[in-house]
Amino acid sequence: MTDSTTASGTFDVTLDVNGIAYPVHIEQDRNLLSVIRGEVGLTGTKEGCDDCECGACMVLLDGRPVNSCSYLAVQAQGRAITTIEGVMTGDDLHPLQQALLDEGGVQCGFCTPGMIMSAMALLADNPSPSEEQVRIGLSGNLCRCTGYTRIVAAVQRAAAVPHA
Amino acid sequence: MTATTTAITTSPPRFVRADGPDKVTGSGRYTADLSLTGVLAAKFRYANIGHARIVRLDVTAARAMPGVFAVLTADDVPDVRFGPFVQDRTLFARDVVRFEGEIVAAVAAVNAVVAQRAVDAIVVEYEPLPVINDIEAALSVESALVHPDWQSYGAADALVRDRNDASFASITKGDVGAGMAAADHIIESRYVADGCHAVPIEPRAVVAQWEGNKVTIWTTTQVPFDARAGVCETLQLPTNRVRIIVPHLGGGFGGKCGFHYEAHIAALARVAKRPVRLVFTRREEFIAPDRRRESIVFNIETGVLDDGTITARRAWLAMDNGAYTADAAFFSQLAAMHTAGPYRIPNVQVEAHLVYTNHQPSGSVRAPTAPQACWALESHTDEVAAAVGIDPVEFRRRNAVDTGAVGPSGQTYGEIGLQQCIDLAAGGAGYGQPLPDDEAIGVAIGWWPSFSVPSGAYIKIDGDGAGQIITGAQECGTGSVMTLRDLAADELGMKPEDFELVYQDTAVAPYDMGATGSQTLLNNGRAVIAAAGQVAEQLKKLAADHLEAAEADIVLADGHAYVAGTPATTVSLVELAGIAAGGQLLIGHGSSTPAEAPPLAGSSCVGDLGMAAFVAPQFSCHAVRVKLDRDTGVARVLHVSAAHDSGIIINPIGAHGQVEGAVMMGIGQALSEGTTYDDQARQRNAALLEYKLQTCADAPPILVQFVEIFTPDAGPRGAKGLAEAPNIATAAAISNALAKLIGRPVRQLPMTAERVWNTIQGDAS
Repeated sequence: MTDSTTASGTFDVTLDVNGIAYPVHIEQDRNLLSVIRGEVGLTGTKEGCDDCECGACMVLLDGRPVNSCSYLAVQAQGRAITTIEGVMTGDDLHPLQQALLDEGGVQCGFCTPGMIMSAMALLADNPSPSEEQVRIGLSGNLCRCTGYTRIVAAVQRAAAVPHA
Repeated sequence: MTATTTAITTSPPRFVRADGPDKVTGSGRYTADLSLTGVLAAKFRYANIGHARIVRLDVTAARAMPGVFAVLTADDVPDVRFGPFVQDRTLFARDVVRFEGEIVAAVAAVNAVVAQRAVDAIVVEYEPLPVINDIEAALSVESALVHPDWQSYGAADALVRDRNDASFASITKGDVGAGMAAADHIIESRYVADGCHAVPIEPRAVVAQWEGNKVTIWTTTQVPFDARAGVCETLQLPTNRVRIIVPHLGGGFGGKCGFHYEAHIAALARVAKRPVRLVFTRREEFIAPDRRRESIVFNIETGVLDDGTITARRAWLAMDNGAYTADAAFFSQLAAMHTAGPYRIPNVQVEAHLVYTNHQPSGSVRAPTAPQACWALESHTDEVAAAVGIDPVEFRRRNAVDTGAVGPSGQTYGEIGLQQCIDLAAGGAGYGQPLPDDEAIGVAIGWWPSFSVPSGAYIKIDGDGAGQIITGAQECGTGSVMTLRDLAADELGMKPEDFELVYQDTAVAPYDMGATGSQTLLNNGRAVIAAAGQVAEQLKKLAADHLEAAEADIVLADGHAYVAGTPATTVSLVELAGIAAGGQLLIGHGSSTPAEAPPLAGSSCVGDLGMAAFVAPQFSCHAVRVKLDRDTGVARVLHVSAAHDSGIIINPIGAHGQVEGAVMMGIGQALSEGTTYDDQARQRNAALLEYKLQTCADAPPILVQFVEIFTPDAGPRGAKGLAEAPNIATAAAISNALAKLIGRPVRQLPMTAERVWNTIQGDAS
């Protein structure tokens, strides 16, 4: 096993997270999720499987959704990283956040940050998605509590699309 | 009592939960988000073998590694056997390992990488023992024993145990032999349900920190007081030196009930003299906890007359207990009830065994035993209906229990809404209308008790009029704790937003059983109302003095106290709170008094753990439309119509969410979720890539309707439990739809495409 803590295996990189530059000194094999949570100190992004299966760790890289558990942190240098903590505008909730509250789309809340990041990417691509497009757009995010019904409704509400 | 049927289909009233803003902004803290100065990382050494004797265990090299602060084995903790019903478990394996996820040793080190290296440096040598991998074989007298010393273990008096049978239960009513003899038809069926998992999206995590002789443990438990009891029992500490705090909990579904790893991490932290944190991987979530849904083998036999009247039911079932009993001892009687079913049957004989194997231990997962038993019984019921040529829905209308009817264990039901559920669910599905030949609607009914248990809460209102509800109740996502604010606000004429919740902390709140048994609102709701009632009396007394009126005439509403009939004579509650702050403080406490178990008549129960008498029973009917690709065996659920009698619904949006989520879990259990084992009793699909949950793209439209009825012994305002009941009937209804499409039932759960295809090809297995 390579000792990843040796000087040769570590890098000084600067990560742009929610518009703030964070200089971090990290091992080359660190995934982005662990750096966001452990070094940058933002814990809203969750780890559910470390296997790209659950989507709880979803962040945006230059606006595209990425499972941060399976993305090398060093590769994120120079790209705009958005986490759940960067979604609000000042003290105002993003329409997706407000819609999830209003529609009852939040139960345990563990999948919620990742779900919001996927939904943001979806709406950026397609501001008026159909219910089917929402369901496909969120299919990389597992939720065990809600049965998805109210999450889909919330995304459509946030997109100001009449309910199907 | 008024009985009203309310069909709530769309747009339930808005209810923004108090913990919602934390959860949508990422600011809410879950256990794995916590960090403490100097915190160490914990890792476990697991058995990784199904059954073996430990012939050598050497931790010398691990302890000597730089950065390792503690390495513990059974020799380093008190020699205590624990378990709620059978004391068959120890914190660390002693001499023998009995399942792959059994903990042999625990390490605390400076980080997770070093901790894992230390775990790998522990030397363990095993002598293999016979692997007990099959439930029915384990019951034979020739089988090796999982616990050769079973007779020496402490156990609850009511348990009937014998060798690998950890808990036998039977329910007997009438004369089943005579009932079968009187039948025109006798239908026999065999069904086998595989085990499956709760799979909360948040993996378990525990953080422990000692200060002097007291320990604080932050943990992902659904049952903080039960977790505290486990720590106290195994580490031999008094309850007032162990504080359990649950940050936000990322789902549970029963999987996080019981006592898990809090004592291991506390023991590590005590030896290391540093705080210690454990965070599970997804693989550990699958293999280690003693809470997964049990595999069950069912043999069911029903006698029926030509006119569709059931004369007798006989059933035998064997459940996989796994290697240790956890809380599963009551499953035998509960599964027996669910295999008898919510039917009027004069003659019943059901026998259930809970069988030790070398599998991961079983434990309460959302309505334990009920989805599997409902799937088997309701699939069998469609076979019975077909034998007498009666439509399955009509057959259930004739034989299901109703208000005033006597159930299979001899309980006479008060006001209940099962018949209305059948009508609503079938109607909502469009049952009976023509469908394409690759689609069918299956129907199933289910039931579940409400658990009436002790529970406590305090309420205080401070000098500025701001309220706090300090409750022992635990929130696992259902929103039931969030709903407590509404109950308190109603009692006090205040707004829900006037209250903050202080919860999930055993050091500050009175006892509650936790987020288990769908019991929070039922029991803690009563406690909160009682506590609020005390504060209301205190406010009325103050108001009476202030307004120079009689206390009995004071009304609390809209944030004010006023004199009945003269609303202009008023004082704000904020002003009264300020007065109270200078004198008698506004403090209330409430404790819920459990309802007595309803009487049973004409039945006898062996292995009786109180599960044959259902307090305030809940009922449901699900009608599910399924589309089948006969070339591939792939089934797709197109629509679910779910009707529930869970009493009066207090929080409609939360109630809808419970049903929708449980239905999706039921679809997963029906079609994709099942654990498979290798020949060494190790799980073959302990990962989300191989163990498939349903996704957003798989989810069908779900119509939810409630039959709102006041059942005797229900909770506040007529509410019964709800979190588990909607998880029961979905898989059964899907089975019945598939059986219509195939011409015979799929006899193994989950009904994967491969099993469906094999059934289409005529393989009856």
